[in-house]
Amino acid sequence: MIVPLEHLLILSTILFLLGLTCVLVRRNLIMILIGVEIMLNAVGLVLVGASAFWQQIDGQVMVLFLMAMTSAEVSISLAMVVYLQRRKNSIDIRSFDEMRG
Amino acid sequence: MAILLTLLLLLPLLGGVLNACLGNRLPKPLPVIIANGAVIGSFLACLGCLPQAGGEGLRVTVFTWLSSGDFQADIGLLLDPLAAIMALMVTGVASLIHLYAAGYMQEDADQTRFFALLNLFVFAMLTIVLADNLLLMFLGWEGVGFCSYGLIGFWYRKTENAAAGRKAFIVTRIGDLFFTIGLLWLFALFGTLGIEAINGRATELDPTTITIIALLLLGGACGKSAQLPLMTWLPDAMAGPTPVSALIHAATMVTAGVYLLCRMFPLVSLSPLAMGAIALVGVLTALYAATCALAQREIKRVLAYSTMSQVGYMFLAVGVGSVSAAMFHLLTHAFFKALLFMAAGCLINLAGHENDIYLMGGMRQRSKTIFWLFVAGLFCLAGAPLTGGFFSKDLILAAAFAQGDLFHLGIYGLGLLTAGITSLYSFRLAYLVFAGDFRGEELPHELPGLMQWPLVPLAFLGVLGGLLNLPHFFGGHSWLSGWLSRDHDVLHLSMNAEYLLIGSAVGVFILGWLIAHLRYRKFAPRETGPISGFLLAGWQFDALFDRVLIQPFRAVCGFCWQGLEVGLVDGLIDGFARTCVAWGQSLRLLANGRIAFYLQGFAWGLLVIVGWFLLRAAV
Repeated sequence: MIVPLEHLLILSTILFLLGLTCVLVRRNLIMILIGVEIMLNAVGLVLVGASAFWQQIDGQVMVLFLMAMTSAEVSISLAMVVYLQRRKNSIDIRSFDEMRG
Repeated sequence: MAILLTLLLLLPLLGGVLNACLGNRLPKPLPVIIANGAVIGSFLACLGCLPQAGGEGLRVTVFTWLSSGDFQADIGLLLDPLAAIMALMVTGVASLIHLYAAGYMQEDADQTRFFALLNLFVFAMLTIVLADNLLLMFLGWEGVGFCSYGLIGFWYRKTENAAAGRKAFIVTRIGDLFFTIGLLWLFALFGTLGIEAINGRATELDPTTITIIALLLLGGACGKSAQLPLMTWLPDAMAGPTPVSALIHAATMVTAGVYLLCRMFPLVSLSPLAMGAIALVGVLTALYAATCALAQREIKRVLAYSTMSQVGYMFLAVGVGSVSAAMFHLLTHAFFKALLFMAAGCLINLAGHENDIYLMGGMRQRSKTIFWLFVAGLFCLAGAPLTGGFFSKDLILAAAFAQGDLFHLGIYGLGLLTAGITSLYSFRLAYLVFAGDFRGEELPHELPGLMQWPLVPLAFLGVLGGLLNLPHFFGGHSWLSGWLSRDHDVLHLSMNAEYLLIGSAVGVFILGWLIAHLRYRKFAPRETGPISGFLLAGWQFDALFDRVLIQPFRAVCGFCWQGLEVGLVDGLIDGFARTCVAWGQSLRLLANGRIAFYLQGFAWGLLVIVGWFLLRAAV
């Protein structure tokens, strides 16, 4: 393996934290979804790296599942974003607080 | 014969159940006919099995009621001489009262309920009389209590009537508690509740046990027979219709206590202490009630107190060991008291539903018949020489006198004093009701014939009742004592003592009459002084019991309700609930609907979990 595992882990951690920060600080729903995607990809990167490190195919198989699941998730969530945009004419998450207790 | 005895008991039950279940669907006079027919049939059945009652008596086991291990209670009837004479009186007097009630209740809408209860009342009393074991007797005992409750509170739409019914039930229940304890104790000792078995084996017990059991039985008898200190229910029981008063006072209820003591006499008589207590309770009640009767204004309350007083005499008779004197007085009293009550009902009717004797007067002009009947009853009550009441009361006093010791002489003295007071209040009643002119304003109500002629046989029985047990001194043969096989109740006093006793009895009778004549011949409205107020309120016993028993009881109940129930239990549960709600309210703030806030929560949670794993890895 050319790239050492540590570098890979550091990279994916940075990616994950970037994604998390994006989720936490942005108010635009689409941006939050993008943050989620970045976090998922960070996880995928770790899986591929670990798979290569231990010479085991499982991790790569898992990543394929992950990509399939992510695409399904994105299509559903984007559909919901469109729906929410139609309902409130906004995709600012602050306008969706009807579940307040 | 066995079938007759069974019928004697079951006919009133049948009548009562028929009326209770179907009475309201039957055409109008039929329920009354059923009720009257049942009791009269019962009376005829009683006459029919009378020849069998002598000696050992007639015995029927209808069926086995309870059977568990050694314990067995039958619906077993025993018609021995004591039960026979009692059953004859109960059914006979009750028949006349039923006939009277048919006239009295003619216009009442609830006739059916009345007659159903009246029949059941007679049935319950007959159960007491005929039971051959104490458990069955207790069943009748409670039945009497229940029926009296239903009948005293018959016109329950008026609150005080319902309250009087409740009072009668609760006060007699207190006595019943003692009876129950005595009953269970006897069962624990003997393993049987058969009356004859217990009486037969009573001598096996040690004296202390006998005394306590006898006192427990006395407590039960006091409750039913309205003796001190459980007597407060009887004057209030006047709230019921007049036939009910007559039935309670003459035939069914108050005599049950005396009958119980007579039934258990072989047991009770083994304890001199208990006998003394019975005599003392009797004579004190007699005196107490007689003084109360002096001041009463309602005609039925005078009679109620006189009943209490006369039943006191019966207790006194049992206490001095003379069962036949007790039964003798019970019989004569049943006749003349039923007569007096029913005649009082007629008088109230004639005075236009007025029962205050101060507003009566001159009733003689309104009905001669009722005047003579009522006066006959009063003469018996007052113990006028040669009437039934005179002989029976005299026998009781003589029996007390014959004991000879100081205690019994004292009791004799109190009894004699009571006899004088009895004569005084009887004639006070007579003068206030009959002398002078009518003081009220009401017009007389019509008096149906059915309310008059049943009184005639009672008047004869009352006046001639002395023949039942005419002492040798008057040329009789003490038939009743012989019938009850209690020949040693027949007193053999010296001639001088006889003259002394009869002389003093006649003396106090005349003295009472004289005082009443001087004081009440001309009606003068009197101020109620403190003494008459005290007597009118029955020596303030109601107020005393209220202060000593009812108010503390209320206070305890109030504490249990407000303090324990509302304060402690509800407070704990409510407090717990309130705490939960408060927590929920503060937790609610977390669910503010902001997605960013929730995500922040996720992030913090993640941090904590990762931190935890890192910490573990470090250690």
